[in-house]
Amino acid sequence: MATDTRVLDVRDLRVSYHTPSGPVRAVNGVSFFLRPGERLGLVGESGSGKTTTALSLMRLLQESAVIEGGEVLLDGVDLLQLSEEGMRQARFADISLIPQGAMNSLNPMLKVGAQLRDTIRAHRRGSSSRAATDVRIQDVLDSVELEARVMDSYPHELSGGMKQRICIAMAILLSPKVIIADEPTSALDVVVQRQVMETLRRVQELLGPAVILVGHDMGLMAQFVDRIGVMYGGKLVEVGPVRGIFKDPLHPYTQLLIQSLPNLRTKEDFRGIPGLTPSLLAPPPGCMFHPRCPQAMPRCSVDVPVLEEIKPDRWVMCHLYDGVSA
Amino acid sequence: MTSLLEAQNVTRVFGGGLLQKGHTVAVDGVSLIIDEDRPSITAIAGESGSGKTTLARLLLGVIQPTSGSILYRGDSLTTMDGRTRKTFRRQVQAIFQDPYEAYNPVYKVDQTLTTPVRKFRLAHSREEAQQLIEASLRMAGLRPEETLGRYPHQLSGGQRQRIMVARALLLNPRVILADEPVSMVDASLRATILESLVKLKRELGISLVYITHDLTTAYQVSQNIYILYRGSVAELGSVEKVINDPKHPYTRLLVNSIPLPDPDLHWGGEIETKASAAAAPLPKTMQGCKFANRCPYVMAECHEAPPPLYLTEDDRAVACYLHKSSVPVSGKEMAESLATA
Repeated sequence: MATDTRVLDVRDLRVSYHTPSGPVRAVNGVSFFLRPGERLGLVGESGSGKTTTALSLMRLLQESAVIEGGEVLLDGVDLLQLSEEGMRQARFADISLIPQGAMNSLNPMLKVGAQLRDTIRAHRRGSSSRAATDVRIQDVLDSVELEARVMDSYPHELSGGMKQRICIAMAILLSPKVIIADEPTSALDVVVQRQVMETLRRVQELLGPAVILVGHDMGLMAQFVDRIGVMYGGKLVEVGPVRGIFKDPLHPYTQLLIQSLPNLRTKEDFRGIPGLTPSLLAPPPGCMFHPRCPQAMPRCSVDVPVLEEIKPDRWVMCHLYDGVSA
Repeated sequence: MTSLLEAQNVTRVFGGGLLQKGHTVAVDGVSLIIDEDRPSITAIAGESGSGKTTLARLLLGVIQPTSGSILYRGDSLTTMDGRTRKTFRRQVQAIFQDPYEAYNPVYKVDQTLTTPVRKFRLAHSREEAQQLIEASLRMAGLRPEETLGRYPHQLSGGQRQRIMVARALLLNPRVILADEPVSMVDASLRATILESLVKLKRELGISLVYITHDLTTAYQVSQNIYILYRGSVAELGSVEKVINDPKHPYTRLLVNSIPLPDPDLHWGGEIETKASAAAAPLPKTMQGCKFANRCPYVMAECHEAPPPLYLTEDDRAVACYLHKSSVPVSGKEMAESLATA
């Protein structure tokens, strides 16, 4: 669908970590796009490359990681080509991140208000008065259901859920077009998790940024996102609308993943996925999933499959669908 | 019924004395029984701060109760003689949350398995030890040739956790306490580990105490469930009753907050709006129900005295005055009736 408007367009992203045992291809040719205002989930197991993908978009990778290729087009501008200073300005203003364990990302020595003001000062293009800044901060705190008095608190005086809301407030402070939320509630209890996710959804619907939710909790994905991208071994193996992914998964890995999810209808019915996740140091030839795939064919261990749109809005990277196209 | 492992009205207070300021009642009058004659899986569920891990440590004898007692085959852990204690140490095993922290990273994983064999003199020869280790690895669903001789970092989280299961199995235990055994394991391996835990019960007759914050997996594996809130049992009973038709307002809140992996089943029910209530400290002179400050149905009596357990059905009791028309039941009676149900 070439006519789609895309706020973010990631093309053939490749990221490696350099380790003593050789390069690890953590993200191996990932392409996806984000429509304005939509919520996209990026799911995968540990080592699938979901967090590396998310951090690459912000250019916040560790030193050992190298972005080896690809484009990250935000409204047509390739973030990977920006200068360090240009990228610094784009963070928070155009694209922001709610990091993993966000509650520990606040500075313990600074009051919350000072940290929010810093964010505005450091990333806003043009200047504004302190009074205007504080009005904006209060609006944003209000939208995440926090009282203005938290500005005078240190992070340790707040609960995990409140700190998480501060991180959401910080992410929306400068009205970015895209927010990346990397497992934003993984450290929270289930009741607070629901509150935080519902706050994030409400704020998102109100302000309209597109959101990428990175995580491994399929339940959270089912409750929150419009579309899901499934990652496996550094590749995006399937992308589609949330209902399609859950009710009619196309990729054999997605099918097994959906089957393995525990529910509240059946008991003692366990369907794990046999085998192990691939080594990224010595990846298997052909399709990354073929050693575990119950539907593997001879060509799966030889030819690398390509992500293709086999019906409208359904993308899959699997030889089972060779010759099928939308 | 023969009581195998039992908590009798156990309370554990941390910090200060019971009457001093600054103390925390981590576990508050909890009774639980595992029946020797009937292998079972009992889930203990709650959020952080509910006391579930403290209860596990009490049941393992790692910490002592402030009041009440833990009994193994009728003997109190605090007074049992050395010989009985050694039997207890062997027959009650634990599996913890982080399958990486339980290993020494500079030793091969073999050491985790050879140490108990040596300490408990489980084998008379090297060959016998090797056979024993390989058999228990297979029981935990691992291939010995793919596991032995490796370092912990060379194995996946799921493999590391299954080695811990194998280590527990070496000792031929009667009870395994599993504290969040799958919370750090990836989704595709989670089902496999839970399956091997259920097999231990079904095929080897080992009872499990499954400690978790995750009601979905608790529902999958267990027969009975204890819902803990700030150290007290809010509701207990058959897992089908408690999860499919929760009666305590807290259990209802928990069940409604589960993100179900189905886009057509949306988060339903009432949602707590007071964002900070969950984390608010309890008043110092707390007398009534601990959930009263968060409860949408709070009544005057809720602030006066802690609610007893009310027997709403044969196999379920709820600590809530909303159910005061039912007969009150003691924690011990309820634990007994669940253990033999």
